[in-house]
Amino acid sequence: MTLMALFHESADTAEVIDELHNLGIADNKIVVITGLPYPEGALGRHREWLTLPYIVLAGAAAGLGIGLFLAVITPHLYRLDVGGHPPVGFPPAAVIIFIFTMMATIVSTFLGVLWEMNFPRFGPAPYHKLVTDGHLAVILDIPTRLEGQVRQMLETHHAHHVGEPERMTL
Amino acid sequence: MSEPEDMAQEIRQTTPYDERLLLAQRTDSEINQAVLQPMLQTGKGFWVLVTGLSLIVAWGVYAWSYLIYWGIGVTGKNRPVYWTLFITTFVFWVGISHAGTMISAVLRLLKADWRRPITRGAEAMTAFALMMAGLYPLIHLGRVWKFYWMVPYPNNRLMWPNFQSPLMWDMVAIFTYLIGSSLYLYLALIPDMAMARDHTGSWRFKLYRVLALGWRGTEGEWHKLHRALGIFSVAIIPIFLSVHSIVSWDFAVTIQPRWHSTIFAPYFVIGAVYSGLSALASILVVVRRGMRLQEFLRAEHFDSLGKLVMVAGMAWVYFWFAGFIVEWYGNEPVVRELIREEVSGHLAPFFYLQMSANLIPIALLVFKRVRTTPALLLATTLLVNVGMFTERALIVIGSLQRNDLPFNWGNYRPTWVEISIVAMTFAGFALLYTLFSRIIPFVPVWEIKEGRLRYTMRRIGRLLVPTAAEID
Amino acid sequence: MATDANLSVENDRRWVLVVDLDRCTGCQACVVACHAENNIPVVGEKQAAYGRWMHWIIIQRYWEGEYPNVKARFMPVMCQQCTEAPCEPVCPVFATYHNAEGLNAQIYNRCIGTRFCGSACPYKVRTYNWFRPEFPEPLIEQLNPDVTVRTRGIMEKCTFCIQRIRRAEIDSQAEGRILADGEIQPACVQTCPTSALVFGDLGDPDSRASQLARSHRSFRLLPELGTDPGVIYLKGGETNV
Repeated sequence: MTLMALFHESADTAEVIDELHNLGIADNKIVVITGLPYPEGALGRHREWLTLPYIVLAGAAAGLGIGLFLAVITPHLYRLDVGGHPPVGFPPAAVIIFIFTMMATIVSTFLGVLWEMNFPRFGPAPYHKLVTDGHLAVILDIPTRLEGQVRQMLETHHAHHVGEPERMTL
Repeated sequence: MSEPEDMAQEIRQTTPYDERLLLAQRTDSEINQAVLQPMLQTGKGFWVLVTGLSLIVAWGVYAWSYLIYWGIGVTGKNRPVYWTLFITTFVFWVGISHAGTMISAVLRLLKADWRRPITRGAEAMTAFALMMAGLYPLIHLGRVWKFYWMVPYPNNRLMWPNFQSPLMWDMVAIFTYLIGSSLYLYLALIPDMAMARDHTGSWRFKLYRVLALGWRGTEGEWHKLHRALGIFSVAIIPIFLSVHSIVSWDFAVTIQPRWHSTIFAPYFVIGAVYSGLSALASILVVVRRGMRLQEFLRAEHFDSLGKLVMVAGMAWVYFWFAGFIVEWYGNEPVVRELIREEVSGHLAPFFYLQMSANLIPIALLVFKRVRTTPALLLATTLLVNVGMFTERALIVIGSLQRNDLPFNWGNYRPTWVEISIVAMTFAGFALLYTLFSRIIPFVPVWEIKEGRLRYTMRRIGRLLVPTAAEID
Repeated sequence: MATDANLSVENDRRWVLVVDLDRCTGCQACVVACHAENNIPVVGEKQAAYGRWMHWIIIQRYWEGEYPNVKARFMPVMCQQCTEAPCEPVCPVFATYHNAEGLNAQIYNRCIGTRFCGSACPYKVRTYNWFRPEFPEPLIEQLNPDVTVRTRGIMEKCTFCIQRIRRAEIDSQAEGRILADGEIQPACVQTCPTSALVFGDLGDPDSRASQLARSHRSFRLLPELGTDPGVIYLKGGETNV
């Protein structure tokens, strides 16, 4: 079953998560929602591994390729001589290749992060509006037998609004 | 009383630290409301401003259509002054756009927390300035309906554009920078869209809901956002350095006297930072007053921004002098004539306006009083931009008036078409910015909340000092 | 098209124009002929005074001295057809390029009017169509069908009457003979009453233009800029070079 609890303080939240770990509830069954980013490890959980850097590198390579094609290959496709310069010169080619690499890096970072976050996602999801007012929400997926224990532990740590999470359309 | 309560009471009693935004005693919900309230109220002043700006923009659009229909001859351009106010204003707007990246990317990497409340306003300034700048390569075209020939796409003519041309580099670079800064603006905006979504209704709710993309604020989402913003900050810095260098190469790669200068690239970049940061300071003073954001934009921010402007100004003087001394000393005939025109000829009023409007603010900004008094800072930074616009006009227009064969010397007089179109972009920028301030939360709320995590008060000897924690 | 990466100087044919300043009287017949041949509009006194005249060849005149010892020095200046033309690399759409005969070709249909080439040219010989050109009746009957009539927003300049070059080449090919030296005459060359203008192939060492180019009187405009122009001037008695 799923439970959601709201907390005022990050210290309480961290302790609750430790207790949950002690009760044997794995990290992937706990979702912590906050209105501001907390530093790594502040709430006792591991950072997940991201594919974003690889997406960015792939994007940069693609940009390099496009830049190379436009700057180095297109002048040979329809050859037009201009005064005093060879069809492909190093400085203009360098500028174009650089710009396209950076353009692709930026675009792939943006699209990559959206893809990795599975955005846009507008369906119903567990959420509470008070999160943006400074509360920390913890959403748990626990076996029913532990419900009583967990609720007890949440109360001890000053949780409020404990209950089934409302699936809000976001 | 316990230590923390003791300190808390001391904090409340000691006024200097209340001046620090990141130490202010405000709950998250109060911050949310303080940022949202001004957005939701549109008084008479707002509508008067929007109407006025829209009228100027409409007049400018009419002037542009007039230009397209009758031809470039309705401007004051002639032979040899083929490029005038349009290119000047183009360079000016690209310059203005550099401040946003300076603040949001460079200062983010340097972990300067005073950037937090101003980073979104700065990025918006970049995006809108680039939109205005991007109009000019179209406006100044003789046959604007054929502009798409500059776009590299496979076509039945089998022709590709000329990538050796600086105008192509311009097009690509400005497009990249525009995309980059818009995406950067939007990415950092998503958590605040979620906050706005949670606190508004009707059409705003629908808009923010779409823009928030379903953001909840899970740890995974924050982590990914942080990584993406980190990559963006690093990636956008080479772009911002290259864009204005490329714009400067529009001039420097020709053999036109006074344009053919190797120092143009860093000179233009530093001029852009100087002019852009000044514009940012001007805008922030106005927005702070208009949207009652006195709580968020405090003396500490204007103080630091003013210092940055001053440093950029000093660097600008260095680069200007490094270019000028070489030209003056070389005594090449045409360059000498151009310098004579500037220093004691027809262009002298503009030259002295440029130098005084660029140098006096540097001297003024030395004083903390000037940096922290909004009205004085506004006057000073507006003066900087008057000077920088004049500087660009002198470079573009002044240099073209003289060249290697004296028979080809000419003069330039602007016409109503050029002035209207220039005014159109200024009004368009202001209009976009005004509408932006009512639709998007101006202050990045989540960044401020994140910043507050870092700051506490600590006792060192008899002093109670604010300290910043070493967290990302 | 040139096969060499570094330009068409290696090619056999290189058209040049020799301007003998000793023979030039400044009569401006070449200017008028050029207008007639190339469909160049007359812009009117006011526009011309503002620097918007459209002459592809113009007699540049300088006044020297004070009254009563005033001297007028003049020389005809047209597009110098530079080998290392600074105007060519800067056009974003390849509206101007260097062709195999050593000519700086201007493609009117491709020009989108950025005027970068005009700013880059050190001789400022490029003219621009600031407005729609007007050819009041009956001048419209006089337009040359071999030359495009340009609209507003297009850059143009002296082409060494490339339409005449092509016509002569096509005619000689149809008749199965080789082009003789002096057979191709641009409008200005044809009209000049004192034969101050000579057109020919620099690649042919026996052509009259080549021989004149080897004269001790020959010089080029602004040689220090490295543009390697295709217009060769011959010093007159009073030329200050």
